[in-house]
Amino acid sequence: MSIEIRNISKSFGDFRALKDVSFKVETGELVALLGPSGSGKTSLLRIIAGIEVPDGNDGAILIHNEDAAEISFRDRRVGFVFQHYALFRHMTIFENVAFGLRVRPRRLRPSEKIIREKVNELLKLVQLDWLGDHLPSQLSGGQRQRIALARALAVEPNVLLLDEPFGSLDARVRKELRQWLRRFHDELKITSVFVTHDQEEALEVADRVVLMNEGRVEQVGTPEEVYHHPANAFVYNFLGNVNLFRGRVKEGKVYLGDMPLGLPAESGVDAKSALVFVRPHLLEVELQPNGKQNFRARVKHINLAGSLVKVELESEWGDPVHVELSHGRYQTLGFRKDDLVFVRPRERKIFVESEQGFCDYAANI
Amino acid sequence: MSEPRWVRAILMTGALLFLGIFLLLPLIVVFSEAFKKGVEVYFESIREPDAVAAIWLTLIAAGIAVPLNLVFGVVAAWAIAKFQFPGKSFLITLIDLPFSVSPVISGLVYVLLFGLQGWLGPWLAEHDIKIIFAVPGIVLATVFVTFPFVARELIPLMQAQGSEEEVAARTLGAGGWQTFWRVTLPNIKWGLLYGVILCNARAMGEFGAVSVVSGHIRGATNTIPLHAEILYNEYNSAAAFAMASLLTILTLVTIALKAAIDWKSQVEAREVGENRERALAEA
Repeated sequence: MSIEIRNISKSFGDFRALKDVSFKVETGELVALLGPSGSGKTSLLRIIAGIEVPDGNDGAILIHNEDAAEISFRDRRVGFVFQHYALFRHMTIFENVAFGLRVRPRRLRPSEKIIREKVNELLKLVQLDWLGDHLPSQLSGGQRQRIALARALAVEPNVLLLDEPFGSLDARVRKELRQWLRRFHDELKITSVFVTHDQEEALEVADRVVLMNEGRVEQVGTPEEVYHHPANAFVYNFLGNVNLFRGRVKEGKVYLGDMPLGLPAESGVDAKSALVFVRPHLLEVELQPNGKQNFRARVKHINLAGSLVKVELESEWGDPVHVELSHGRYQTLGFRKDDLVFVRPRERKIFVESEQGFCDYAANI
Repeated sequence: MSEPRWVRAILMTGALLFLGIFLLLPLIVVFSEAFKKGVEVYFESIREPDAVAAIWLTLIAAGIAVPLNLVFGVVAAWAIAKFQFPGKSFLITLIDLPFSVSPVISGLVYVLLFGLQGWLGPWLAEHDIKIIFAVPGIVLATVFVTFPFVARELIPLMQAQGSEEEVAARTLGAGGWQTFWRVTLPNIKWGLLYGVILCNARAMGEFGAVSVVSGHIRGATNTIPLHAEILYNEYNSAAAFAMASLLTILTLVTIALKAAIDWKSQVEAREVGENRERALAEA
């Protein structure tokens, strides 16, 4: 079952949560809606589920090429997993999962025996069949999340929507559960959309990522596409750690301090200033100046814990610079705190000021 | 505890003394006065026809007012806690109105509306409908006075619980009624019961508003509190206190039920807490 989002807008009072959003989720895909808080991703998910209604008549949600507005809530068959689980607190885990089957109209309701089998099967699927007679309050967060998923699956949904599914769990459980969700999706192949503000989670789990900011879609693509070919400054900045430099454009080149950098061919020459993004692992540290493609910086802090050495520097114009290098490289160089070093960007992304401006993006940094 | 022992002793004796004089002593007086002329006189004055009529009328008034305000309270609390709509704060103020208006005024309003000289009086007289100085008036006054109890109890509870569970039920295919019976009602049951008990206690004990609309017709429009007052004014104190003792018993039952509900919901809350700790310890 595919989901098509067509020109959806939504306002809450004066606040415009969604501005003309369109994209398509293909059958069997696992798509992440990624963005900072307030970007409209949860509103969009609730509109797809039918919990909220979009503004105006221009927009539509098409589930399996049918206008969802024409399908009643009951027949929409959307499985929704809430951020705070929303388990029924007074019901046992078994009854929570059985709820969707028990509230069916009498002629569609399965017999008690079939309900029992089905619920037990689902509890096995989420590996919690031994918790059937417990109450939700007796479960840990990760267990509750899995029960919420089993409850949503009980109605055999056409699409599965998850709102920040791992948002309120601690780091270790998050990691475990998101790998589990990926395997789970590969087994069941239900078209799924999940909301997250954690770029690592989106890039690791999803088939495709929809990047949202201030109610708009900034980019749609596979994790590889959005990471390596970001469409704009916002996407580059939001995905992963990044160093941001402000440069000036002179004679077709961007200058960072005295260091000239080539401009991307398509950019206008008349632009005045530019933003230069460099990921920490794409900055090379050297002890001697090597030509003109580098700037001076002073070592402020060295963090040796972890698989990479993280170094904090202060550039010659006073900005903090974050660099990541391997332990081997660090030992070869052998610099210490307060040493003067030379930094050379191996790869960088330049966004030149244009009519629309990049100031929007800079404000988010 | 940092206060010295004598401070604690003074505070505690003060509190107990106050409670004793103003609450416990009247309670004892009511029963001792009621049984002053012996157990037989006591039961005689309760079985007397006018007393039986008063007891019946009280039960009828409460029997109509409590279910009505139960339904209204749940509906109002649901609307206020789960939806945003214009005029919401006005509705909350309206619900509180019977608390802020003197009961006598509430009674007078009904007399002005339905009494012979009232707005609707001539029309009612023409159609031979009696409201004031009759049972309907007493029921109306009781409904008005006990209006806020259930709603007031439920609004904060439902606001705290939010509506996520209801939304979840809807996404799972439950209809409006199914959501209410299976999800909302079980979550508010203790608060609801609490509100009903308070509402009932007030409905049976109400004096002011009912007194204005009743007309004090013996055996016809007297409730227990009104009947007790009449008997007392006739210096028939044993019978008056026998009536009063019935209301006092109601009070004691109410207090006992209230304590039981508090205890029960606390036990549930504690179990939840303990289980959570256990789950955390295991994890």
